[in-house]
Amino acid sequence: MINLKENKVLRIILRTLVPLAALLFVFIFVIYIVPGLQEMKGVRKTVLTNDPELKKDPVYKKQTAQLTRDIQRMSKKYASFTSGQSYIVINTTDNRFFLYKNKKLIREGFCSSGSYTMLKTEGERKWIFKTPKGKYWIQGKITSPVWRRPDWAFVEEGLPIPPENDPSRYEYGVLGDYAMSIGDGYLIHGTLYKRFLGMPVTHGCVRLNDEDLEAIYNTLSIGSKVYIF
Amino acid sequence: METSDNMENTEKKKLTAENLILIIAGAFILVFLAYYSIMMSMGPAKKLKEIEAGYGVKHDSEEKTDERLFTDSAYVSMLKEKSFLQSKITMAGTDSIYMTLNIPDSTAHLEIAGVSVHSVRISGMKISKILRTGNNYAIQTMLASPMTIVNYIATIKKEPLMIKMAPKDTSEFKPDVTPDTSDYEPVNYILDMDNGLRIFVYQEVADSANSDRNSLFFFDLNDRLKTTWQSIKSVAVLKVPEYHPYIKIRVPKADAKILYRAIPRKGQIAVYI
Repeated sequence: MINLKENKVLRIILRTLVPLAALLFVFIFVIYIVPGLQEMKGVRKTVLTNDPELKKDPVYKKQTAQLTRDIQRMSKKYASFTSGQSYIVINTTDNRFFLYKNKKLIREGFCSSGSYTMLKTEGERKWIFKTPKGKYWIQGKITSPVWRRPDWAFVEEGLPIPPENDPSRYEYGVLGDYAMSIGDGYLIHGTLYKRFLGMPVTHGCVRLNDEDLEAIYNTLSIGSKVYIF
Repeated sequence: METSDNMENTEKKKLTAENLILIIAGAFILVFLAYYSIMMSMGPAKKLKEIEAGYGVKHDSEEKTDERLFTDSAYVSMLKEKSFLQSKITMAGTDSIYMTLNIPDSTAHLEIAGVSVHSVRISGMKISKILRTGNNYAIQTMLASPMTIVNYIATIKKEPLMIKMAPKDTSEFKPDVTPDTSDYEPVNYILDMDNGLRIFVYQEVADSANSDRNSLFFFDLNDRLKTTWQSIKSVAVLKVPEYHPYIKIRVPKADAKILYRAIPRKGQIAVYI
């Protein structure tokens, strides 16, 4: 009697475990083994024979000479893209800058870039504070810049927006000693908030500390390239 | 006694019927697995045929190409170099950010208009056999034109946008506090290219980082499940499932994040294999 009961329990266990194990096998087979088998099966390949006779063939000689010329021409063209003049690279993920002169890195350090904040009002107005990425160039250089506060600067603080040229829009000494414009209202400038350097906190401009700003201002000229990524 | 015998017989019949169902189900699963495996194993060859048809030597064209040239390693090597340069020059013509993958050098570069702005050391990689041993001419010609990203799946956001509601007046205004720059999110992503190639970028995982390893496992499993489901759907209608050649690279976490955030949504990539 006990034996019969034991058999029944064993059968129930087997009937549950075997299908479960089979399902697990099917799952692993389909998900992992089959894609692995795809990579094991050989595909028709070109066999490299490096036949010495071929190297003497005029067609081979002509083709390799043509390829060599093409590669030289293309390499030269590609190298010419990197300017020998000064340029700056800005990494907005790590908030770092790299200043180059004669294709050599001459200075690097921390900066602050856009905070990726979207400021929204109840009236459906919105602004996204991010630094644009891509290729730009220095379009203007300014000493002792004055910040003309845009609408969002007032909205952000819960202040009423003043008229266009209202004196309350102008702030002196907050952008450092120098500023360089890269277009569309974006500037590379100084900051009072040096403790935030290396962090994404700006409204889209690039902030630097005083020493770095001065070095960059003195190295870059109007037309110098600014690469932001 | 008679009743007990009847019960035993009924139970035996029930068991036999259950066994029969199990055997039929098992046989059906085995047949399906065999059929699925055969159909799947035909995928790479089908893909190679497509690449050859699109990019291989055109036998009917007026400009004849001597196929013997592709058996010479020096010639093939020069061809690869030319293809890579060609791709880079095409991409440099735009002002957009693009990526170049140099497999023999184990490096990835972010470039803008021909200027390398960030270099990454690749610590590990795995490449589809089709790309390593396929017809060199067809593969190189395919890689000669820059690939465009058509879709991506990632564990991090492309743009980590935070929404902030403007205060109604100065009493509601709170000055910004120091942003949270802690780096806890694992960084793994897959870029689907327009020519069917898939580029997997995985962060390096330290031996002690169990959470990162688990995250990668589930990210990979999720993608495998999606791909398998697509394959099963194809197999069900007697079609050979689409095979996607791949390049899997492992890079430091910070670099993986930089690459992902820098490349535009429809960005371009050139590969040198």
